[in-house]
Amino acid sequence: MRTTLTILMVVSGFALQAVSYFFLAAPWGIPTSPVYSNPRVPFAPALFILGVMLVFLAAVVYELLPDSGQRG
Amino acid sequence: MARYAMVIDLDRCTGCRACMEACKVENNTPTATFWMYVFRFEEGEYPNTHIWFMPRPCMHCDNAPCVKVCPVGARYKREDGLVATDWDRCIGCRYCEVACPYGVNFFNWKEPSKNYYLDWRDKDLSPITNGAVPPYRNPDLEKPYGKERRRTAGGGRLKGVIEKCTFCVHRVEKGLQPACVANCPLFALHFGDLDDPNSTVSQLLRRKPSFRLLEELGTRPRVYYVGGHPPDTEARQIEEVKARV
Amino acid sequence: MATRVERLPYGIGRFTLGLYLLLVVLLMVVGWGIYAYSRQFTEGLVVTGLRDIGTMGGAAWGLYIAFDIYFVGVSFAGITTAALIRLLHLKHLKPVSRMAEVLTVVSLILAAFSVLPDLGQPVRGIINLFRYARPQSPFFGTFTLVVSGYLFASLVYLYLDGRRDAAILAKEKGPLQGFYRLWAAGYRDTPAERERHDRASFWLAIAILPLLVTAHSTLGFVFGIQSGRPGWFSALQAPGFVVMAGVSGIGLLAVIAAILRQALNEREQLHEGIFKWLGMFLVVLILIYLYFMVVELLTTTYAGHHHEVRVTLALLTGGYAWLFWGVVASLLLALVSLLLPYLPEPLRVRFPAFQPGYALATGLTAFVVGVFFILQRMGPPRGALLMLSPEVLRWIPWLLAVFLVLFVLSFFPLFTTSFVASAAVSGLLVNLAAIGKRLLIVVPSQTYGTLLPYGVGTYTPTWVEYSIIGGLFALGTLLYLLFVKFFPIMEVRTAEEGGH
Repeated sequence: MRTTLTILMVVSGFALQAVSYFFLAAPWGIPTSPVYSNPRVPFAPALFILGVMLVFLAAVVYELLPDSGQRG
Repeated sequence: MARYAMVIDLDRCTGCRACMEACKVENNTPTATFWMYVFRFEEGEYPNTHIWFMPRPCMHCDNAPCVKVCPVGARYKREDGLVATDWDRCIGCRYCEVACPYGVNFFNWKEPSKNYYLDWRDKDLSPITNGAVPPYRNPDLEKPYGKERRRTAGGGRLKGVIEKCTFCVHRVEKGLQPACVANCPLFALHFGDLDDPNSTVSQLLRRKPSFRLLEELGTRPRVYYVGGHPPDTEARQIEEVKARV
Repeated sequence: MATRVERLPYGIGRFTLGLYLLLVVLLMVVGWGIYAYSRQFTEGLVVTGLRDIGTMGGAAWGLYIAFDIYFVGVSFAGITTAALIRLLHLKHLKPVSRMAEVLTVVSLILAAFSVLPDLGQPVRGIINLFRYARPQSPFFGTFTLVVSGYLFASLVYLYLDGRRDAAILAKEKGPLQGFYRLWAAGYRDTPAERERHDRASFWLAIAILPLLVTAHSTLGFVFGIQSGRPGWFSALQAPGFVVMAGVSGIGLLAVIAAILRQALNEREQLHEGIFKWLGMFLVVLILIYLYFMVVELLTTTYAGHHHEVRVTLALLTGGYAWLFWGVVASLLLALVSLLLPYLPEPLRVRFPAFQPGYALATGLTAFVVGVFFILQRMGPPRGALLMLSPEVLRWIPWLLAVFLVLFVLSFFPLFTTSFVASAAVSGLLVNLAAIGKRLLIVVPSQTYGTLLPYGVGTYTPTWVEYSIIGGLFALGTLLYLLFVKFFPIMEVRTAEEGGH
């Protein structure tokens, strides 16, 4: 249960990073249009950072969450 | 969509710096800020010397280093090729300034209203004019421009943001020429649409060999020079301008 | 199970008069820095020595950016050492592990703070970065990887690593018991929990080590990928940043460990072996960095591209020569002082014994020459004791440098016997070198590196910049000191373990 949650957090953290990367302004190439100077989704950089933090927060969850199987 | 460019005829330029003056009046830029600057060069040894002049606006590069490095997208490339500065978004990190190889960016080191070219809060001036002549402030500079409706025209209206040549976006959108081009007494500066084969810029570029500054960096500038050569190690400035605020 | 400790270890919560005085002094320096910043905030950056590149003949980036990259560099030490200790099972280095982690966290906080005064619109900076940040800008990496990811990861590591000690301390009655209990969060030091922490910290270390290289590299890319600035545009910039970060970070860690060893009187736990290891690590990193410097100099000068040569000559013989050669001298002196304890016995005795008079003489002379130089630089109206020709004046900084080198050299006999002294002193030297090198990376490429024929620029920092940087250093010291006074800076040894 705890391990599942941890792995889920790591995976979703990386997924959030990957997804939000494409929400950012012009993720690749030389921008050809002024719309590329705006993120496609508002506050996409904040989402990206949230993803980074989620990955590392998984370690805290892994250690702090009581083991339901052993303690009941 | 137009593809704006500037062509500067070095054969015609006499270094009168009327373009610099026109720019300051039109955009009301703060002191020590030269969106347009005219280099005055001297080459060779006396008595075999050669003097020539090179206006330097912003190059409005197609692959602009300043656009790439801007962390918040305040500096961006418009579809018609103008490189614009959104002074409502700029955070004042000056990365564009250190990335630019041409040295065209100017930062508002202090409250710009304290040292505007036309100081519209000038204490000495107000009793004479009774407040009638200055304040001169072009309302067009405050408006948003382009499809994206962002405020990109005019001198820095704020302390702590970057500013640079806008190609007079507020005039260009009205179908006028940039102030420097319109005020050049010798028609050394030309502005127009490269996609229009009949525009002056297209005709000039067809007729005369041209170069762009620091082309080797891959910045692909939109300012073309005809009738001269790029400044090399031989060229030295006659008088180095060091205008400090 | 951990057993009870007699009283809080490592002087936690014991505030002596001297400590209070130190705290007051630090707070005053921080306050002065805040005052300087308030001046800058209201007046604008005109109060700094920064000016526009080009017709204004200045540098747009200066002390703030130089110290920002210095602080980020220092953060290297912490988490690297901690992660290496965990991954390579370097048990004997465990005592410096937490010191290093705290150093990382504090220096990253300082790094974030030193960017703020550089921004013309700091409030916008905080909001707009979260709102509009773009991946094309090298600042994106600095902002996401360094300040957010790296800082957050270090905090998580520090927190998890401290739970065991917090649990031990939470058993004691005291004003801080609640704080320790909160930190421990139910940790009871059972074998299952220990194993769990072991596994978590292993994966954290695995995740942090690559982040370390990428984070410091992104900072190098801020400069290294700008083709418009000669002296910056170099493939060596990113790896150079990683190595220099290591040099300054490990150096500062050695200094802090030496100070704590003295202050806490923990000579046994902070044994010589730690300093020996840190010193050896430092030697390797300094050698790599010197190699990088040689490679860079050769690349920029050999082909003779005149813009590159102009910047390089400004470093080698021009206005920045004193700083450049000072950096080289500091690195070399640090290297020598680190290797002195390895001298074979017969060679060691031939060194003249340390003579206080000799050190005093050279030190005083250096001081006098330095004061004289500053007075001369102020110019005839204010200072200028003697009307010296510029030709003579040019040599005075060199004279100063010679006496400073002699001053450091006179201490060398001391280092032949102590790994601690040699590591601490060379730690200090490499940090001075790191600050100097950061300035040399940032400034000359702007003042001498214009590609269009503008005139040469100048940059002289003002009191505002010095005050803000001083305030930041004081803030860092304050944070570190407070951590030491509220939480064990090394692992707590329980009576059970101490009995072994």
